[in-house]
Parts: sequence; C-alpha cells; structure tokens
Amino acid sequence: MAKDVISVSNLEVWFPVRRGFVESLTSKEQKWVKAVDGVSFDIKEREIFCLVGESGCGKTTTGKAILRLVEPTGGLVKYGGAGLTDALIKEAAHEAVKRKNMKKAEAEKDARAGFVEVRYLHKAKMKALRQKMQMIFQDPYESLNPKQSIYDIVAEPLIVNNLGASESERESRVRKALEDAGLRPPKDFMWRYPHEVSGGQRQRVGVAGALVLDPSFLVADEPVSMLDVSIRSEILKLMLDLREKKGLTYLFITHDLGVAYVFSDRIGIMYLGKIVELGPTEQVIKDPKHPYTKALISVVPKPDPRMKTEKIILKGERPDPAHIPPGCRFHPRCPFAMEVCKKKEPQPVSITDQHWVSCWLESGEAKQ
Amino acid sequence: MSLLEVKDLKTYFKTQEGTLKAVDGIDFMLEKGQAMGLAGESGCGKTTAALSIMKLLPANGYIAGGSINFMGQDMSKVTGDKLRAIRWRDISIIFQGAMNALNPVKRVGDQITEPILLHENVDEEVAKKRVQELFSLVGINPNRIREYPHEFSGGMRQRVMIAMALACRPKLVIADEPTTALDVMIQAQILQLMKSLQTELDLAMIIISHDLSVLAETCDLLSIMYAGKIVERSSAVEVFSNPQHPYTKGLIAAFPNIKGERKMPASIAGNPPNLINAPIGCRFAERCYMAQEICNAKEPPLIEVLPGHFAACHFVQPKG
Repeated sequence: MAKDVISVSNLEVWFPVRRGFVESLTSKEQKWVKAVDGVSFDIKEREIFCLVGESGCGKTTTGKAILRLVEPTGGLVKYGGAGLTDALIKEAAHEAVKRKNMKKAEAEKDARAGFVEVRYLHKAKMKALRQKMQMIFQDPYESLNPKQSIYDIVAEPLIVNNLGASESERESRVRKALEDAGLRPPKDFMWRYPHEVSGGQRQRVGVAGALVLDPSFLVADEPVSMLDVSIRSEILKLMLDLREKKGLTYLFITHDLGVAYVFSDRIGIMYLGKIVELGPTEQVIKDPKHPYTKALISVVPKPDPRMKTEKIILKGERPDPAHIPPGCRFHPRCPFAMEVCKKKEPQPVSITDQHWVSCWLESGEAKQ
Repeated sequence: MSLLEVKDLKTYFKTQEGTLKAVDGIDFMLEKGQAMGLAGESGCGKTTAALSIMKLLPANGYIAGGSINFMGQDMSKVTGDKLRAIRWRDISIIFQGAMNALNPVKRVGDQITEPILLHENVDEEVAKKRVQELFSLVGINPNRIREYPHEFSGGMRQRVMIAMALACRPKLVIADEPTTALDVMIQAQILQLMKSLQTELDLAMIIISHDLSVLAETCDLLSIMYAGKIVERSSAVEVFSNPQHPYTKGLIAAFPNIKGERKMPASIAGNPPNLINAPIGCRFAERCYMAQEICNAKEPPLIEVLPGHFAACHFVQPKG
C-alpha cells in the first residue's frame, strides 16, 4: 500500500473574535470563528484528494493550515513525503513532545515511520520543508505580480530559498519549470509579462512557480475556477501529467463538483469547518449519503437542457462560522432534520471501508 | 414584429494599435417572453454586444454598422433624452459582479427607488411601496429596504440587483454573467428565481455567460459567439442535442458531466485570434480539428442548416 504523504488529524483553525474594550470587561468568554473545526484525512502518495464545499466552509483555510500559511490552533499535521532528513524528523518529534502535542511513544513511532509533525516545527525549518509543499493559487490574474517578468516570478522562490548558486543555474531551473508547466519553448515566455499571455498560460506560470522548487506535495486552490471552460481541462491534464512524471500528490480545493468528479481520486465534502462525508470519488458522487452532498450534486448544472433532474435547493445561505449551530451543524438547512440532529453531533459512520459519513440518518442508533 | 431585432451589428473599439472589431456583424431576434443565451469564451464580444443594445459602450467604443430594432426604434441611432427614457424603463441590465455594482453608501431601497422616480410620475410613497413588492418578488424580506449593501450576503445582493433591474417593469432584461461569482447552491437559487420571474412577468431576457450549463437550464434560445461572430444559433435544446459547428461541439465536450461517465473533458487548444487583425477566413480555423484550406481562405456564411438552426461552417450543409 502506498505511503501517506499528508496525514491530518483533528485540525482546528480558530480565529479570535475581536472584542471592544467594554465588551472585554463585561463578557469573560472569548468568542471564536471556527473556520476549521476538527478535520481529519490522509492523502496517499500520488493521490489526488479533493475538498469540496461552499465558499466560507473552511476548505482554503484547511489547505493553508497544512502549509502553515495560517497557523493551526489545534490538531496534528504530519508530512511523510520526500525531502525529509533524519535530523529534521528527530527535531520535529522532540518539538512535538516538548509542546505536549503528542505523547512520547506516539512521536517516536511517527519518527520511525518517517513522519514529521509540522505544526511546531521551527519557522526556518518549516521554510525549508515548504519547498516540498507548495501551493497553486486560485486567480492567475491576481496572484502574479504584473510588474515582474515571468522569469522573475518563477525565479523568486529560488532566491527566497537561497537555491541556485549562480544566475545561470537559476535560469536553467526556471527553464525546466516552465517547460514542465507546458510553456514551451521557455525562451518565448521567460521575458514576457503576465498581461502578455493568455489566462491559461498565466495559470501555467503559477504552476511553474510551484514546480521550480521541485515539490512533492501541492495544494491547488481552485486552480481552474477563473479560467474559461474551454481551457480548464488543459490545466487539469497538465496536473495529471505532472503526477505521472514527478510522482506529485495533490490536495485539490474546489467548489465545482463536476471538476472534482473527473479529476480526483477521493472527495471530502466540507460544511462549516467539518468534513461531513468522505470517500472514493465515484462512490460519493454516484451514491451520496449525506443530505448536503445530495443537495450539492443535484444543483450542479447539467450541460444538456433535456436532462431535467429534481433539484434539492437548500434554503438560505451558509451560516456563520462564528455561530455554529448545536448538534449537527447542517440541521437548520437539512430537509430531513430530526430531533436528535438538533441536540447531538453525529459521529462518522462507515458505509464501506473507505467511505464514511457523519449523519444521524445513516448511524445505527437513529435507524433503529 | 419581434421585440428586439439585431441586424448585422458591428461594434468597434478605437485602440492605439488599431480598430478592434469586438462585434463584427451579428444577427439575432428575440420575442416577448423569450430568454436567449449568449455564450462564448472571454473576449468573444458577448458583453460588448449586450452593451451595444443599451448603448453603454465605453468612450472609445462605437457602433460601426447595422441596426438594433427595439420596439420599432433603431437603438443605434437614438441619443440624448430619448435614449435615457428607454434605458431602465424598457431595457435594464443586471451587471456582472453585482457585489460591486451597488453603491455602498446608499440604502438599497433608495437605490431602487431612484430609477422609479426618474422614469415615472409617481411620489415617493408609491415608489417605496413598489420596492417592497419587488423585494418580496425576488425573495427578500421587505423590511430590509433600509439596509445598506454590506448588510447583504452575495446571493442576497444579487437578488437586490435583480429587483433593481425589474424596478420599472422593463420589457427586456440583460443579465451579464449573473451567477459567475456565486456558489453553486446560491447559483441554483438565483437561476430558479430568474426562470420563474421570466414566466411570471413575461420578460424577454438575454443571459450572457461562458458557462453553457447555466444557459442550458434557463434559456429557450442559444447563440454561440466566437471572436465577434455568432457561429451557431438555434433553440437551446437543438444546439445541445444537434450541435453543428465544431466550436459548439468543443464547448459542449469541455464540460464535465456529473451524471455521465467519469472522464476528463476535452479542451479546445489554442487561443482566439486577435480582433485587430482578424483572419480573413473562418476565425475558428486555427483551433479547428476539421480545418481545410478553404477555411483559411474564405469566411463561411451563417446558413440555415435546419429550420431555425443556423451555423457558420464550410462543412455543414442544409438538411431536409
């Protein structure tokens, strides 16, 4: 069986709600925006794991927290991919035990298996490790500096990380990254500016900027949602190609179930900071269990007016992560909500050995 | 007579590099109560075509030819007060990115009353009452008319925009990418609302989107634009079930179908041509898998393949 590259357990990212002076005197309780509220999943080597959900459900924050672009406030993030040294593994285990994040036995077991707990890794060490864990951003129109040439954009990560002894070495790495990202020949693109290339090519520049550091794990945050439909699959195919050639592992973040369906190996459906259903793509799409998953699938527009299907349109908009409803967090919008849903939070129930769902409709207790 | 009849419309932009022919000879017709989808990649001229109808072009854009016959008058020639009287009263528009189209420092109710007071001889009380009716029509609590745009969520703001577009009971509403910035669930809510309003109020609509699947769900008619031209036009069902133009086929194939087989959708390689020096032949030839010599030499005319179904390609023949 393939090894896990990323293992996330009980990840939490809570942001404190700022209080006014009077408020801080009158109320003792600190309120939190629970953007990510206990998320667990593993991603195996060469796997594409997809997080799907509405905007504000915490999917991007989860991706960023894994790379520590935002600091997690709880839980564990373990990385077991390429580029780890023994010293680093040892130090990470030591840190994790010292910060009382893990028990000693557990930390030693992880260290033997070649995992690093990244949450308490020292900043400088994290920066070095981040060369192996990179991110592709959503909007290629905004994420590229318009005043930098494509060469400068792609070379910047090398400079930041002190890689490449000389300018000529850097140039050859940039060339290679551009070529890998499908911008061929690189010399035609290197000295152009972002506004001089098309949207699809811009996103390829974004991919090249991540590839130049030779990563093994990529977080792709809605990499195609800003692109025209006609060129979306080009970018997706490029990402699949890179997986074949370089053995990359992806965390793919999207709100578009259609894209997730054709591209990913496994899907996690996120709602308000929690994964409510997780399983192999085919199973989740063809045989969804959670009412939220069912609703999401039913509203994906079909590219054919003859296919009129029953739509489950949920009332209202997503609730606020600062006021998460008690019990099952989906119950105020759920068409099947029962008494128990308002009181107790459902625990994950296995459907098959890889497919689980958190819903009272599926758990044995309510069924009986 | 049709409500809207666009004939050989040409809208050009003056730029430093030369004249950019954003819309270069398009025809279409729209009857009362019909919804037409205008689809195509970014930069194909779909928004420009719609803005030409309302004459909302930027300073360097102008209508270079053709006619836009709206309820018996040629919009390309109407100017000044006459034009202002038609705008919003008879034709209104839901702008792309409704989030930013509202004035952040004015109450939403006041923003909607403004066009009513401008166009109709009514007092403020009547206008306010109308706004409350509009709000319940689009599914917002009428008590919220004194709130500011920032107090509404994205989907709700889009509903405010729709209410605003309907304020003067127009005959034609143009919706420019009405759901592009919204979540799937909110998108489904808005599309459902637009569809029901269209039948309820007998509205004519032009919906502009790059997302064919959105148009498939809402439109009766469908026009596919490519590089300033309409390359295929028919009823929505016909375009999807019997596409003729290779570009239309490519666009339809580019959609992942969640109900279908799990396979990577096809893409259309390449980029649209530069419209300052548009190719003399078929504009799609460079990206077309069927292209032959004739495609680069001669521009294909828009021919009627089947009754009411038009396509512009050298390799489609009239049938039946």
